[in-house]
Amino acid sequence: MTNILIILVVFLLLAALVQVIRVNELLSELKNQDLNKVTDKDNKIQATLFFLIAGVAYLALVLWQFKNWGPFLLPPASSVHGAAIDSLMNFTMGLIIFVFFITQPILVWFVYKYRKTKTKSAYYYPHNNNLEKIWTIVPTIVLSAVIFYGMSVWSQITNADTSESTVIEVYAKQFNWIARYSGDDNTLGAANFRLVGGKNTLGVDMEDIKAADDKITREVHLVVDKPVLLRFRSQDVIHSAYLPHFRVQMNCVPGMTTQFAFTPTQTTAQMKQQEGEDFEFILLCNKICGVAHYNMQMKFVVETQEEYDTWLTGKKTLSEKLLTQK
Amino acid sequence: MAIVLNQNKTSKQLLWVGIAGIVMFFAGLTSAVIVRKAEGNWLEFQMPDWFWISTIAIISSSILLHISKRAVKNGTSPLVFLLGALALGVVFTFSQFFGWNQLVSEGVYLTGEGSNPAGSFLYVITLAHLLHLLGGLIAISVTTVNSRRGKYTAENYLGIELTSTYWHFLGVLWLYLFFFFNYL
Amino acid sequence: MSDHHKETFITKYIFCQDHKMIAKQFLITGMLMGVIGMFMSILFRLQLSNPGESFAVLEWFLGDKWAPGGVLDPNMYLSLVTMHGTILVFWVLTAGLTGTFANYLIPLQIGARDMASGFLNMLSYWFFFGATIVMLISLFVESGPASAGWTVYPPLSALPQAISGSGLGQDLWLVGMALFIVSSLLGGLNYIVTILNLRTKGMSMSRLPLTIWALLITAIIGVLTFPVLLACALLLIFDRSFGTSFYLSDIIINGEMLHNTGGSPILFEHLFWFLGHPEVYIILLPALGLVSEVMSVNSRKPIFGYKAMVGAMMAIAFLSCIVWGHHMFVTGMDPFLGSVFTFTTLLIAIPSAVKVFNYLTTLWRGSIRFTPAMLFAIGFVSTFITGGLTGLILGDSALDINVHDTYFVVGHFHIVMGLSAIYGMFAGVYHWFPKMYGRMMNKKLGYLHFWVTFIAAYGVFFPMHFLGLAGLPRRYYTNSAFPMFDNLTDINEVITFFSIIGGLVQLLFIFNFFYSIFKGTKSEQNPWKSNTLEWTAPVERIHGNWPGEIPSVERWAYDYSKPGMDEDFVMQNVPLKEGETEH
Repeated sequence: MTNILIILVVFLLLAALVQVIRVNELLSELKNQDLNKVTDKDNKIQATLFFLIAGVAYLALVLWQFKNWGPFLLPPASSVHGAAIDSLMNFTMGLIIFVFFITQPILVWFVYKYRKTKTKSAYYYPHNNNLEKIWTIVPTIVLSAVIFYGMSVWSQITNADTSESTVIEVYAKQFNWIARYSGDDNTLGAANFRLVGGKNTLGVDMEDIKAADDKITREVHLVVDKPVLLRFRSQDVIHSAYLPHFRVQMNCVPGMTTQFAFTPTQTTAQMKQQEGEDFEFILLCNKICGVAHYNMQMKFVVETQEEYDTWLTGKKTLSEKLLTQK
Repeated sequence: MAIVLNQNKTSKQLLWVGIAGIVMFFAGLTSAVIVRKAEGNWLEFQMPDWFWISTIAIISSSILLHISKRAVKNGTSPLVFLLGALALGVVFTFSQFFGWNQLVSEGVYLTGEGSNPAGSFLYVITLAHLLHLLGGLIAISVTTVNSRRGKYTAENYLGIELTSTYWHFLGVLWLYLFFFFNYL
Repeated sequence: MSDHHKETFITKYIFCQDHKMIAKQFLITGMLMGVIGMFMSILFRLQLSNPGESFAVLEWFLGDKWAPGGVLDPNMYLSLVTMHGTILVFWVLTAGLTGTFANYLIPLQIGARDMASGFLNMLSYWFFFGATIVMLISLFVESGPASAGWTVYPPLSALPQAISGSGLGQDLWLVGMALFIVSSLLGGLNYIVTILNLRTKGMSMSRLPLTIWALLITAIIGVLTFPVLLACALLLIFDRSFGTSFYLSDIIINGEMLHNTGGSPILFEHLFWFLGHPEVYIILLPALGLVSEVMSVNSRKPIFGYKAMVGAMMAIAFLSCIVWGHHMFVTGMDPFLGSVFTFTTLLIAIPSAVKVFNYLTTLWRGSIRFTPAMLFAIGFVSTFITGGLTGLILGDSALDINVHDTYFVVGHFHIVMGLSAIYGMFAGVYHWFPKMYGRMMNKKLGYLHFWVTFIAAYGVFFPMHFLGLAGLPRRYYTNSAFPMFDNLTDINEVITFFSIIGGLVQLLFIFNFFYSIFKGTKSEQNPWKSNTLEWTAPVERIHGNWPGEIPSVERWAYDYSKPGMDEDFVMQNVPLKEGETEH
């Protein structure tokens, strides 16, 4: 019944619209003018509308959004390289906001000012090589700065020294994360997907002596100001390990290992003070991976060395977990 | 006459632009091989001997097509040469199948347990080439029939020209693929 | 060509080889798909702003299976997102835009009777039509349409066990795409050869209107990159259906250990984005061309810096083929490669900046006539600036780490290529409608359409940048699983509100379009007082475009308000006056 009603309403609306247009057409026919001809009055109205909407309202609302929604953005980075990314971001963002607030007003002003009127006529101006040179060269110079700055931050991130880093594996599968600490030797035991089964959820090769002291956890704890190297694997499809607060992201690809090195600079406790009691560092999945993609998470905790030691020593090593059963 | 010339020119250009597209298709596939090969875990194997026969067949059929073009230009019937080129094209097709058989017997599989992308790439790329070649075979068949009907004259032999251009391209493409897999 | 065949319904409307009819076929199919794709986005926006709430409209359209109790199923959510992307990117903005305007404008603006090969052209449409049917059928299969995202990254798209949409739905998606690629290749061949060969006397390359330049460059990058996508899809089809391991390796899915080893999903990404990025410009360049033309005509000024405009388009097209890696900064690629791709990507900003400044200078001291087409062309410049600027952030590998695949990306590309291209398309439709159908579109409805679209579109896509900077990943069924996103609900509600408004107003456009085809006021031959050749052809649609001789070209297309001329426009077929110099 409702369906029929909806269809009826739609038809009535259509008919009404057609009638309105017909009446409009008849009226203009009576007045002997072409309904669809753009008149000077149209030009005036549209130019003014453009000034008000695309100029004033749009730019004001952009500012309004920065003011009102700015506080929802991620807090400053909680990692060393993250701070570098943040400064690069501020620099680039500043630049684009600057350009935005120059070019948009120019556009709006030209559109408003040079609307067609009875008195003005257009100025024939096909080209000017000097002008064009200026706006090729100036963006080139500005971009060189952006590119150079960006590349230096990028190489700083990707060439990080990992010799002192604690190695932790992050293993992705539909739809959760598992972590493996490399233990006292700071080296992960070899793994092979064919060995996955039973309690050996990560397919660790227990014949590899380095695997014995590895520890599997459902949370990642890190020591503040101590470098860490995350190594990523995936069991099934591509996932992406995304730690927004640390400015860390790396895809987890089945069949290969990827990695990301960083150093946390804020403890969870500090962040709770700053951002509120519910704050947690969170690892999200950021590559579409299946039906529960939106709920694939793991907690990261950054703490002091003592807290960390207490937490980690409480965990069983893989050899205790897997080999004692036999 | 002007219209005919114009049509000749556009048809040829259409073919060449189409060939550019096909080149990109195979460039995509073979660059995939290079990227993949660089990652290791790559099965090394010998190209089947049958593919040498394919190579000889496609080169000689190209030569025959060239001769048939010359023939029609000189006003003689290209029919015999076209039939010869067609036959060699069929030989090429069969030699491909025999080649795949040989690969399977050597333990290089397209799919399944024990298959390696190295082998799968060879199968898929040669298959893709063969599909393009089937188009060429159809074109030669059509030109053969047309030539039997006496459609081509010394002034108007666009069909044969287009067909032989496409066929030469397929030959060059095969040579590229053959050397790519043999020596790279 | 002047010999008229007897036209039956079938030869006139179905198996038609006349470029003008084929253009209309592309346009109307594209519009239909546009409505479907846009409607999908409204359905999933409802879920995003009101997660888990029941909507009658969802149940009505998706049924019990995909929206039990009116709540969108998460599988269906991903399917809608995937199909929305596929339809809008390929069906509307590639085929709908290029297919329409390349077919319509190329012969008319270069002075040709028809395309180089009418038959290939017809074939191109029918392949496209077949692709459309296959894609539409895939919406109704039992396991749901494809749902691995429009980029269909394997293994997710390769394994039916991974997600329900990767079953038959994904197969149909691939078949549909293969047909689509064949269609755009056939179209592309024709466009290139027609432009190179069939220009009328006097139409040198340096006198081509910018629309034609844009379409030529588009066709060239299309012909060079679409085959690579076909190769990429072919390998995926083999992986899905025949058990090869091109993209698959070391996988356990649903507890089942697959035999595949040695494949690389990253290989797929390389092949995909080798097309995928030029595709962005395949979408954008025709819009740039249309906007250049519309803007010049309606500001009654020559387009500023014609040669620079052509050069910039060539530079953009060239660069677009060597930047694909910027979609893959976080795949663990070689850091050096990352730097190279950052470098090439950010270089694109230079020709883009040149284009923007040239547009601004074209407006400067113009005499702007605000037709609906002109409003959309100006809107294009606005969105092109807004969206282009955020590209500086995404193209920078270091910054991309934190915004990759977040809503920031969604906001960026919807503004810079979605909105810009669709504005270009609207500008084109409003501008050339009188030529296509001999009637005018209703001006007032056009104004209303523009303003509501302009406001709603920014209302939808600008706030997305904030979602992204708050760390919200795209393609999330809901963000309620993470407390850190709780305060983003307001933004999501704003976006959904505007998306509904923006969607509804497009129906007004559709109405205006069809109403005007039949009832619109009759148009003059050259209603916009434009210079290009299509306006020298009679209003009536005839085979061969011009009843007599094709006019020959004597000047470039942009002699607007040239000093010393009788009127503020001089058509391209008017010979130079004595003593007059060409621009």
